[in-house]
Amino acid sequence: MRNLLVKAAALVIAAAIAIGPAWAQGTVNLTFRFNDTEEKELRAALDQFEKQNPGIKVTLQRIGWRDARDQYLREAAVGQGPDVVHVAQVWVKEIGQAGAALPLNDLVKSSPPGSGFTDFMAQELAQTKDGKIFGLPWTTDTWAMVYRTDLLKEAGIDKLPDTWTQLHDDSAQVKKRTGKTGFGFPAGGSSSGAIWFLANFYWWSNGKAMVVQKPDGTYGMNLTVADIADCMHYFKSFLTEGHNPTSNLSASDAHDPAILQALVTGQQAMAAMPPNTYKQVLEMYTAANPGKPLPFVSGPFPKGSVTRSSMIGGRMLVINPNSKHPQEAWKLVKFLASEPIFTQYYTTQFPAQRSLLKNVNWSPELKGFAEQLGYARTWGPYSDGPAPIGAMWNATGRAFSAALSGQRSEQDAAQELLQAVSKLMQNRAQ
Amino acid sequence: MTALSLDMASTGQARTRARATRSSALGAVVVLLLTAILLLFMVYPVAYIFYGSLKPGGGLLGDTAGFTLANYRRIFASGFFTFTRNSLAICLAATAVSTFISVCAAYVFSRFRFRARAALFGAVLLGQMFPWIILVNPLFIVFARWGLTNSYPGMIFCYTAFTIPFSVYMLTGYLATVPKSLDEAAIIDGATRFQVIWRIVFPIMLPGIVATATYAFLLCWTEYLFALAFLTQTDMKTLPLGLYQFFGDDRVDWGAVMAASAVATLPTLLLFLPLQSRLASGLAAGAVK
Amino acid sequence: MRGERLFIAGMLAPAFVVLALFYAYPTLQNLLVSFTDLSLLGLKRGGNWVGLDNYREFLTGPEFRHVLFNTVVWLTALSVALRLLMGLGIALLLDSALLRRWRLSTIAKVAVLMPWATPPIVAVVVWRWMLEPQNGIVNAVLRNLHIVDDPVAFFADLRTVWPSVVMVIVWNTVPIVAVSLLASLQSIPDELNEAAALDGASRLQQFRYITLPFLMPTIVVLTLMSVFWTFNNFVYVWLATGAGPGTFTNVLATEIYIKAFVDFRLGYSSAVGIVMALVMAGFGVAYYRFVAPRELKEGM
Repeated sequence: MRNLLVKAAALVIAAAIAIGPAWAQGTVNLTFRFNDTEEKELRAALDQFEKQNPGIKVTLQRIGWRDARDQYLREAAVGQGPDVVHVAQVWVKEIGQAGAALPLNDLVKSSPPGSGFTDFMAQELAQTKDGKIFGLPWTTDTWAMVYRTDLLKEAGIDKLPDTWTQLHDDSAQVKKRTGKTGFGFPAGGSSSGAIWFLANFYWWSNGKAMVVQKPDGTYGMNLTVADIADCMHYFKSFLTEGHNPTSNLSASDAHDPAILQALVTGQQAMAAMPPNTYKQVLEMYTAANPGKPLPFVSGPFPKGSVTRSSMIGGRMLVINPNSKHPQEAWKLVKFLASEPIFTQYYTTQFPAQRSLLKNVNWSPELKGFAEQLGYARTWGPYSDGPAPIGAMWNATGRAFSAALSGQRSEQDAAQELLQAVSKLMQNRAQ
Repeated sequence: MTALSLDMASTGQARTRARATRSSALGAVVVLLLTAILLLFMVYPVAYIFYGSLKPGGGLLGDTAGFTLANYRRIFASGFFTFTRNSLAICLAATAVSTFISVCAAYVFSRFRFRARAALFGAVLLGQMFPWIILVNPLFIVFARWGLTNSYPGMIFCYTAFTIPFSVYMLTGYLATVPKSLDEAAIIDGATRFQVIWRIVFPIMLPGIVATATYAFLLCWTEYLFALAFLTQTDMKTLPLGLYQFFGDDRVDWGAVMAASAVATLPTLLLFLPLQSRLASGLAAGAVK
Repeated sequence: MRGERLFIAGMLAPAFVVLALFYAYPTLQNLLVSFTDLSLLGLKRGGNWVGLDNYREFLTGPEFRHVLFNTVVWLTALSVALRLLMGLGIALLLDSALLRRWRLSTIAKVAVLMPWATPPIVAVVVWRWMLEPQNGIVNAVLRNLHIVDDPVAFFADLRTVWPSVVMVIVWNTVPIVAVSLLASLQSIPDELNEAAALDGASRLQQFRYITLPFLMPTIVVLTLMSVFWTFNNFVYVWLATGAGPGTFTNVLATEIYIKAFVDFRLGYSSAVGIVMALVMAGFGVAYYRFVAPRELKEGM
């Protein structure tokens, strides 16, 4: 009898030791997948979050942007994946419709983020037609033109080009007067290459667009073969006339090291890029020329026949529907969207909330980006529409690269692109 | 193979030696020149990587005087010790397991004739016929369901499966140059098959095994696709994943990339250095009685 | 007899168990998926049956011949041939008595292995930089030696883009060929060559009648594995040119990547993958039948 009692006691104690800690803790473990390079700063922010919310621990994960979407879709499909995920804004609707993002409507209503959901920019990209909100806009940025003031002066250009024609002529003048590159843009056709952005900015500034929503609600293209060929011809002229070196046909990124090096060493006068890339250029110049003033200025994109334009880029946060703690995940999301994050920790990006954007301290070199943000538009119908943005992006890059490198005539390449996109608009990729 | 009787050789020897001394000077120069060009071609890019790892812009951007260790500090602060450790553990284990299994299989393919031999030998290669990228999705689903993601055993299993086909084929090829008479002699002497493999054949085949194991190790060492899919927790990641993380969306930390690549190169050299003496001749001498 | 069969089975089992567990399911799954229109976005939902549509679309597509030519001729044939030739040359060099006398063997072996230890993306980055018109050393040297007047844009010029890509691949992968051949070379007993030399054989004859036959098993295997591996390879072309300019350097593997991960069409990309596997299987069978039947039947 005593033996049995001893055994029972041992069992109870063992059970208590096993269950006890779990009882006492009740900790919620969240995983946050963040894909940019500011890991250290975000970790500091998360430590702050953990301090404010005892009982929640957050693990920081990271996957490069190149593979982030595929990886997440795979994991979500098998019931895994992090709780909160850092995604590109144009992925959100696709991810939501694929069942890989939690609808946030209830959470937004019961516990509104920031200064209310309507303060967030590009929110149309986060919502599907049936009103489901799948992500919270987090950061925003846009591209701008970047110039080397010393080279412009040397070429006798005293004000920044205002129209596409002026950009072309100024670029040619730089080459003629100084022998250096004018507008050195990446002309490569990789599947996520930069020419996609430049082409769209050109079309938008002339009142055209690859995907538009018609008044009756359906989607179509506001682009003809002539529009595409004209755009191709414009950008090709830089290459054929020599003020964009042909080596840029193998460069697809705005941050291609050859282009950045040319800017830093004063071999190139003009470029187009996102703010983070520009900051790297400034850093590299400072490192190579300590103490000298920065001969750089940023400016808006040139005007077309209608306006000047660029896209509102950005990232959003989504919650994994497989998450075991959606409430806590939402708390983390709200925390990440709060002002201190952008002012103290994640200072390299701009908040996607109008009220916060007003208070951003733009350094003089970045003034161009601030100005351009006023002219920027969201992808809108590109993302809403039936054709997957990635596929259109890839098709555009390929077609432009073929035209710019001379493999295809501009007419043929434009025709092929139009056909490819029309086809994409017709069969929605299931 | 023809044998030679020594008395006939003496005059031939003298003649050959005379010829040799004349052409040996020219030959030496050619060989040294070729070696120099070869070394330059192979080593210069790697040297550039090491050089770039000591510059803030990675040798690509900006041009600052002076060298810095900041890149190395940065990568180790972002977890490179862990990544290196994971890579070492997984790759060494996978190489060991894969080589062992492959030696066993190669021995059988080389020494025995059995009905299904040709078919099985071909079947080994089956998985290699696919491009890896289409294997990723279905494998991920399987690994996820069996809880093999974010685990050492899972990755070791994966890398072993990758390296077995090539190892089996190469080892079978090397075994062809080890005459069966050795095996038979040992068996007549009373050794078991198993002892024959590890006591007799293995030492002679050592150069081949070293070469095969080196290939297997380096294949795992730089593997990115499956590591990306199966290792999502930061503390489980391997070196290639750590390196890719420095490629941002709108900027690349070139200095860190170069430093990371330098770190990736070093362990392989350190592991290979003691082994490369096994790739020396003289081991096979005396094998033919 | 029974004991022997048990031994054979026992020795083969571990390898086949691992291979079966690892490759069986993905192979079957890809086969099944290739008959559907499964999308990466629809993994949960599954895809609809479309029969042979994917195959038809791929094989009759306008790009098919161009992509196939790129993969077979430029990517595979050229780089494998270069790898073998250069690898053989390196192996002979490393094996030579001269290096041994000058104590350069170790350094040479280590130096030869260094490229293989470099991750592909870094290899591409460094070579792209070295071949860069303004900043690269290759162009600087070419201009200094007055071989060219203007810098060559190696990766942008259609005439030079494939040789450049192939060179990066060869640089990164020739070490393993060299080391494997070196191992084979080392296993040739010295006495054989010495005896032949005494017999009056020239170095070339020695090479042709003694060395080469000894190397054949290794060369046969290396060729086959290199062809398989290169034919299916995606990383180098993708990182170096993104399959561009335009679609100039598109190969089968990059086509799969674009279709699977950019267009999300898993069904179609599986079909392409199956076609590639069949091509490789056909090549393997033909290879062992006509090129190296002896290796298959004999000692191996």
